[in-house]
Amino acid sequence: MVCKMAMFMDLNVNFTKDKKTLQNIIETAAHLGYSTVAINYTLESQQKKPEIPKPTSISDLFTKLPVVQGRSRPIRVLSRLTVVATDPSHFRPNAEYKAFDLVAVFPKTEKLFHAACMTFEVDIICVTVTEKQPFHFKRAPVNGAIDRGVFFEIVYTPAIRDSTMRRYTIGNSLGLMETCKGKGVILSSGAEKPLELRGPYDIANLGLVFGLSEGDAKAAVSTNCRSVVLNGETRTTAFGIIRTMKKPPPAPTASEEDKSEERENSAAKRAKMEH
Amino acid sequence: MEEPAAFERLVYKNASNFHYMKICLVLENGSRNIEAAQFKQLIVSGLRQLYGEVGAAFPFDLLKFDPGTLTGILRVYNSGLVKLWSALTLIGSYQNELCAVRVTQVSPFLLALSGNSRELELDQASPTGEKLLLT
Amino acid sequence: MSPELEKCSRSLLVCEKSNFTKEKSRYDIHVSKHYFNYKVSIVIPECASLPASIAGVINSFNSYYRVRDLPIYKLLEEEFLEKVVKKGQFYALSYNTRIDEDNTIAFLPSGQLILSVDKDTYEQLGLEGKPSQYKHRKVLRYVVTIDLTDKLMSPGAKRYQRLITSLKEWVPIKCDLMISSKMTAAEEDGGVLQNLLSQYSFEEHRPTLHTHTLKEMPCPSLHSTDRHGDEKSCDPHHFLEWLGAVSMDISSDNEASSFLSTYVCPDPQSLMSHGLLCTVTGFLIPEDIYSLLLELRRYFDEPKFTSWLSMTVHGFVDSPVSWGTTEHGFLKSGENFYNFVCFRNQDYWLHMATGSHDGCPP
Repeated sequence: MVCKMAMFMDLNVNFTKDKKTLQNIIETAAHLGYSTVAINYTLESQQKKPEIPKPTSISDLFTKLPVVQGRSRPIRVLSRLTVVATDPSHFRPNAEYKAFDLVAVFPKTEKLFHAACMTFEVDIICVTVTEKQPFHFKRAPVNGAIDRGVFFEIVYTPAIRDSTMRRYTIGNSLGLMETCKGKGVILSSGAEKPLELRGPYDIANLGLVFGLSEGDAKAAVSTNCRSVVLNGETRTTAFGIIRTMKKPPPAPTASEEDKSEERENSAAKRAKMEH
Repeated sequence: MEEPAAFERLVYKNASNFHYMKICLVLENGSRNIEAAQFKQLIVSGLRQLYGEVGAAFPFDLLKFDPGTLTGILRVYNSGLVKLWSALTLIGSYQNELCAVRVTQVSPFLLALSGNSRELELDQASPTGEKLLLT
Repeated sequence: MSPELEKCSRSLLVCEKSNFTKEKSRYDIHVSKHYFNYKVSIVIPECASLPASIAGVINSFNSYYRVRDLPIYKLLEEEFLEKVVKKGQFYALSYNTRIDEDNTIAFLPSGQLILSVDKDTYEQLGLEGKPSQYKHRKVLRYVVTIDLTDKLMSPGAKRYQRLITSLKEWVPIKCDLMISSKMTAAEEDGGVLQNLLSQYSFEEHRPTLHTHTLKEMPCPSLHSTDRHGDEKSCDPHHFLEWLGAVSMDISSDNEASSFLSTYVCPDPQSLMSHGLLCTVTGFLIPEDIYSLLLELRRYFDEPKFTSWLSMTVHGFVDSPVSWGTTEHGFLKSGENFYNFVCFRNQDYWLHMATGSHDGCPP
């Protein structure tokens, strides 16, 4: 049964060259009830000659994908690129970015955060959890990102690994929530080991500690992730290609009462307008 | 014989004082024997780390623990559920060994933990217990 | 600290007290309207082994089928619809689907088809439905309820044709199903179900029986005529908690000062020298549960040491309905269960419980 609704997703498990570990992480995610995971490749742009990684083909990892717990279908594995940016020049969307299902940016300065929220062609903006938030979350860029359908990501593994990181994670999340009011947030693991993964209901509960409401917290591991994946699909197909859809997407100028539709299709719009 | 009871219907909303959790400890180097008291201590220290002395002080029960499978059942006041659960989620090591606490079921009714249809496995024979396949 | 951290989701418990012999009692309706049952569990104090008469009833429980990748429209084709679905006592529920994530399908014995589907599927289906009650910020799940016994839905009618086209061409929904049919068991459907199943991968399952003898333990004293607030029996939550403890072999041998657990058997209590715990698991239909209840009532035909016994019935947590067509969902749990305490004088207590994403039990 093809179904794209509120399935649980972890859109950030760390890529490692250790194939066995990566397989184990994905198997564990499937066992915990995640229907989709994204393998995250990080591009550290500070290096002199950053080389954009190429996503590993899934068939190299598995001949048969693990089955999602309690379901008859295999887990879906996506690829994701996260560009760590300390300078505007670090983020250069090009053909190599398009090899990934999802593109994220980790802006290290307020200026870059603003740019990421307002203009960058990305699906996800990473929020710092390993140090104190270096700048304020201002309403304008945060709302700008939300309106464009770009999501903020909080990873929870550092909070498991270390109690200092835990304070940063909770503190920075609470700071973000004050501004975004629980909208436009996804929670993912950033796991490097299978035992760092937690179940989707655990994370939905943990979201309450991060300042989300019960509904927003569950959405942060399910429906919001779905929007991210849909945005990613639209982004990768919208450059000069018209996507066949069973129903026509709503007109670009959606009315005020149609906020939800607008949000969902904002990536499509974004792509369209550029095109 | 007593008089038959008169019809009576009552609706209780949120009247259960407790929530119950079915959990399992997973260790990096596979299973080893841990005693119930050690397991409870691990959870208490998880609570202390996240919520301080107040967290470490709030009452919860380890109703049952099986040292062989490292599975247990917890009982906690409703007001403490989110805190206990989040503390369990953030437990990452036991005696310097990586670990995770898996939560398999949560309910305001203990009885519900004995009948979770998500455990119905039709692809293989059910695992343990005295079983008699009816003919 | 945020008040969100102190909150917890809503639960409901309905308690009824009455007598089986009273005409006005609706206990039979509550049983028959709780369509999808995963487990029934019986506790009989002072009973050492499963009485033959009860074992006999359990042995006659209906078999059920698990079929793989069945296109839903196959169950709506004329012959099947007329000879099986509309004849009543036909139950089907999608297997390995989760009500908070996946498309879920159910056929109720009343001849209704329920499709609880995501927004995309709903829009493609083009069938009339309602937004799920359990939404957050925006509606992402819809529930389509189709009364197949409606004249406008009879084969040949326009709406029927539309339904078939939807499920055959527009969104050919296929899924694994658990199916049980009293008609098939009685071979009254002319082999139609068997015929359909044989075209797919399927297997027949028997309900699984476990019995367990309870050792000496404290047990709450119950008096059927107690009203809420009386001190003679423990309150329903404490009683249900005790049943849960018994079902999962949880010790009540604790003190208020114990480090591990402070759980104790509720007062007033007496000592039970032994008892029987018996569970049946599978895809159980209400007709079978009702016959079991009748047999349990007959347990008191002969003098017994106990004045009460208990039967608990757990619903499927991922069913789209709990009682009747009341929408059922799953937030962090999906409990929907009921429990009868049957007394010697045919008085009974009925407890019906649901969690946060559910209507109030009937």
